[in-house]
Amino acid sequence: MSFTACALAVARKDLVSEWRSREVLPALAQFVLLALVVTLFAFDLDATSAARIAPGVLWLVVLFAGLVSFGRAFAAEREQSSLEALLLTPAGPVAVFAGKAVAAAALLLACEAVLVPGIAVFLGVALPPLVVAAVVLSTLGMAALGCLFSALAVQTRARELLLPVLALPIWIPFVVYGAAALTGRAPQALANLLALDILVVVVAGLAARYVLDD
Amino acid sequence: MTKLRLAALLCMPAFAVAAYMDFVFAPEDALQGPVQRIFYLHVSSAIAAYVCFALVLAGSVLYLWRESPRADRLARAAAPVGLLFTSVTFVMGMIWAKPIWNWDPSKTWDARLSSTAVLWAVYAGYVLVRRFAPPGRTAARLAAVVGVVGFVDVPIVHFSVQWWRTLHPQPVIETGALPGSMLAAWMVTLAAVLLLAGTLVATRYATERNREASEARLQRQEMVQLAAEAP
Repeated sequence: MSFTACALAVARKDLVSEWRSREVLPALAQFVLLALVVTLFAFDLDATSAARIAPGVLWLVVLFAGLVSFGRAFAAEREQSSLEALLLTPAGPVAVFAGKAVAAAALLLACEAVLVPGIAVFLGVALPPLVVAAVVLSTLGMAALGCLFSALAVQTRARELLLPVLALPIWIPFVVYGAAALTGRAPQALANLLALDILVVVVAGLAARYVLDD
Repeated sequence: MTKLRLAALLCMPAFAVAAYMDFVFAPEDALQGPVQRIFYLHVSSAIAAYVCFALVLAGSVLYLWRESPRADRLARAAAPVGLLFTSVTFVMGMIWAKPIWNWDPSKTWDARLSSTAVLWAVYAGYVLVRRFAPPGRTAARLAAVVGVVGFVDVPIVHFSVQWWRTLHPQPVIETGALPGSMLAAWMVTLAAVLLLAGTLVATRYATERNREASEARLQRQEMVQLAAEAP
């Protein structure tokens, strides 16, 4: 089997088991919904302030939902001690990592598909398409780095504690360019996000071998 | 007297000379007054922090490539020292910004301040990985990955936050805008700070080596004991 076929097989396995167990997606959807409700209660909103804070709410929810989605990607394997079995297959650690990152990114994209209409309904703000494009582009890069640190964190004593500590500072550039997509420099911000995605995928792909090689 | 102790002793006169250069020898800045003297220590400790993080990167790459325990020890020794000098840079910068920018962190944020905070958080994560990973090869391997990925990310954070305007002064050293006497004072301070950083890294390196040796000795003793008790 080629590298792509292996990675897609792992991604398919993750998505099928998520479809059958329905563990992460309902929890994420509920988290998104509650985050929006909390926003409504916590801020004193009117028409202009809602439009101002909506992108910020979007980014906060995406970051924290990402932590859950990427954290589960490897924590679930660890709990069932199936990671070793997965790594013993001839697929190779990088293909396993790529597959899991693709599946986790798909979960986060599904969560964003709830979040963006949710912001339109709850806050009454239709997010500009450029911001949505920035979120989708960021999701890919965030998934590569997030899954790398998730694979790393499950091997430590702290587990879930370590993932936010490692991932959040490293994700900052995605938020910076994502927020810049709201300003007049949107095309350049999107181009930078794309370049960042490519760089991050290459780096994570190279590093994955060392994280998963036991 | 060991070399380490000599280096540590040398740090004291070095800092005394640096203090003389900074506070007495260097002329007072025409615009900023005495506050400008923070610059010497601020920039020097920033450079020392970057040198330490470059050592972490070098040690991490070398460890992943060759599995050299010495490279891992170097990375392990340099990371907390880099954190220390980042903190010094941070505090010095804030003390300087208070009178010069009339700066209040609760009202305005600055791009440089934020990127330094991210730098600090990345290497704090590195130290935490070391603490929480199972000791030995796993800790070395996982921390090395964080050391490499973190160093790749730091310049990206640095340039990405420059999308927002910063009040931070532009470089004065490589452009030659700094007068000769100020440059001399800065170079002496830089030498003193680098000496201190080097001494701290070397001390931590030696401590880690001794700790590893004593742990290995304990393990051997336990093995011998177990073998003796076995029927």
